[in-house]
Amino acid sequence: MAASDPDKLIAKADKLTKLSLTRWSADWKSATVLYEQAANAYRIAKNYEKAKEAFEKASKGQEMISSPWDAAKHMESAAALAKELGKWNEVADFYRRASELYVVCGRSQPASDALAKGARALEDAAPDEAIQLYTDACAILEEDGREQMAFDLYRAATTAYVKLEKYTDAAAFLLRLGLAADKCNATNSQCKAYLSAIIVYLYAHDFKQAEKCYNDCSQIDAFLRSDHCHFASKLLSAYTEGDIEEIKRLAQSSTISNLDHTIIRLARKLPTGDLSGLKADASREEEEPLDENDLT
Amino acid sequence: MTVIDLITRVDAICKKYDKYDVDKHRESDNVSGDDAFARLYGAFESQLDAALLKSEAVATEKNRATAVAMNAEIRRTKTHLLEELPKLQRLAFKKVKGLSKEEHEARNDLVSAMKDRIQAIPDGSTTAAKTGGGTASASSYTGIKFDSTFDGKFNDEYFQKTEESDKFRQEYEMRRMNQDQGLDVIAEGLGTLKEMAHDMNEELDRQVPLMDEIDDKVDRANADLKNTNVRLKETVHRLRSSRNFCIDIILLIIILGIAAYLYNVHAFSTLAYLRIMCLSLASIHV
Repeated sequence: MAASDPDKLIAKADKLTKLSLTRWSADWKSATVLYEQAANAYRIAKNYEKAKEAFEKASKGQEMISSPWDAAKHMESAAALAKELGKWNEVADFYRRASELYVVCGRSQPASDALAKGARALEDAAPDEAIQLYTDACAILEEDGREQMAFDLYRAATTAYVKLEKYTDAAAFLLRLGLAADKCNATNSQCKAYLSAIIVYLYAHDFKQAEKCYNDCSQIDAFLRSDHCHFASKLLSAYTEGDIEEIKRLAQSSTISNLDHTIIRLARKLPTGDLSGLKADASREEEEPLDENDLT
Repeated sequence: MTVIDLITRVDAICKKYDKYDVDKHRESDNVSGDDAFARLYGAFESQLDAALLKSEAVATEKNRATAVAMNAEIRRTKTHLLEELPKLQRLAFKKVKGLSKEEHEARNDLVSAMKDRIQAIPDGSTTAAKTGGGTASASSYTGIKFDSTFDGKFNDEYFQKTEESDKFRQEYEMRRMNQDQGLDVIAEGLGTLKEMAHDMNEELDRQVPLMDEIDDKVDRANADLKNTNVRLKETVHRLRSSRNFCIDIILLIIILGIAAYLYNVHAFSTLAYLRIMCLSLASIHV
């Protein structure tokens, strides 16, 4: 029976589940078993399309017999196959469904893992969707109070944002990472997150934001006392002085090398744009108070 | 009455009857009669004496800083006195009553002598005066000058570099550079270690709740397994101790044998017998 044609298995299982005059209630148990067998057979035969469908049906069957865990597992398999086929919206849907089923089981970690897997699969094809999945995964973990696991997800999401060149969003995400790290007393990760945020702002040539970010983060004791804060202040002062050599030298230092590699790449490309513009801003600010003095 | 009491009493009485002291009045009149000149002259004398005393103390002073400070003090006094000197001269020329002609002339001499005496006070700059020459010393008293006690000592000999000291200095610099490089390398290494330690710390913190979960789950699984084991043992025991099972099998074999024999030998009637046998067997079994 197990080695028989998967098509036949599918047909048989369908018959078991379809309600008709002779059948008053669908026999999901046996049908699910048949579906699983068929799906495995299809997968071995590398017939991904059919395998995917079979997994979907198997998952539905598991749901019917109230075992959400197995249902979720089948959904994940279906999603993986959809990824092979390149059907990105289906991938997203399946992974979301799997995650929901995991949440029904009350297991948040596998739920967020499922979303993370989906996001990773979609990073190249549909990056916005991927970021959405990452955000949801982080939300699930944070609800459950397990922010520690979310660090990797935050970092992956930041990388995705940087790839999309959405620097403000990336920096915002890094600040969220800092917040999560704060809750778990992971001071090193927190300080690294804040420094990375400042660097991202500088890379986006948004000096004011970078300074504001630095001032905000200096309110936090752990950051203020750390090496990263010191480094950030040196970097910002090098920027105000327009000292390109100094910036390049700072970017080569070991503090940067400990950060995430996307951030390292950004740091090595600093300084972007025109430093003299920043200097002109700074000097203009200095002139204005003098004018006021003259008037008075 | 003690001596002290006596003295105080005498002082008090003297003070009371001072106004009757003719000699003293005459003296003070003399002084006040000479008016400003004598008074000023007296003041000059006292300051000069003080400066001389200080210069003597400087000569014996071992601490460089105190010596310099005292010299500065002496110089200040000297300049002050020299400034006041013209005033004294003017007073000397004034005609005061009750003063003889000789005394008047003597006053001029006194003033010039005073000038010399002021200039003669040693204040640590005398060596410069000696080497600088007469003009230098003359000008040094009319102008403002920042005196340094090391005047004339900063000559060429002071900074002369010998070859030995050059080499020594170079070696020192080289060694210092090497040390700096070595320290830099160490600093890098330490920084990396610190990062790794921090990351390990965070990773372990992350894994603590996971380990707790694993602990719980394994405990539960263990308990379940123990339960299942006990029940299985019971069941197997019951099964083995029941004889019914074995008896059933033996009887079945015997009856089947008989039925086959009867079937082979007698065709028709055995069927009826067979049916009866089956029924009875069934009743026994149930």
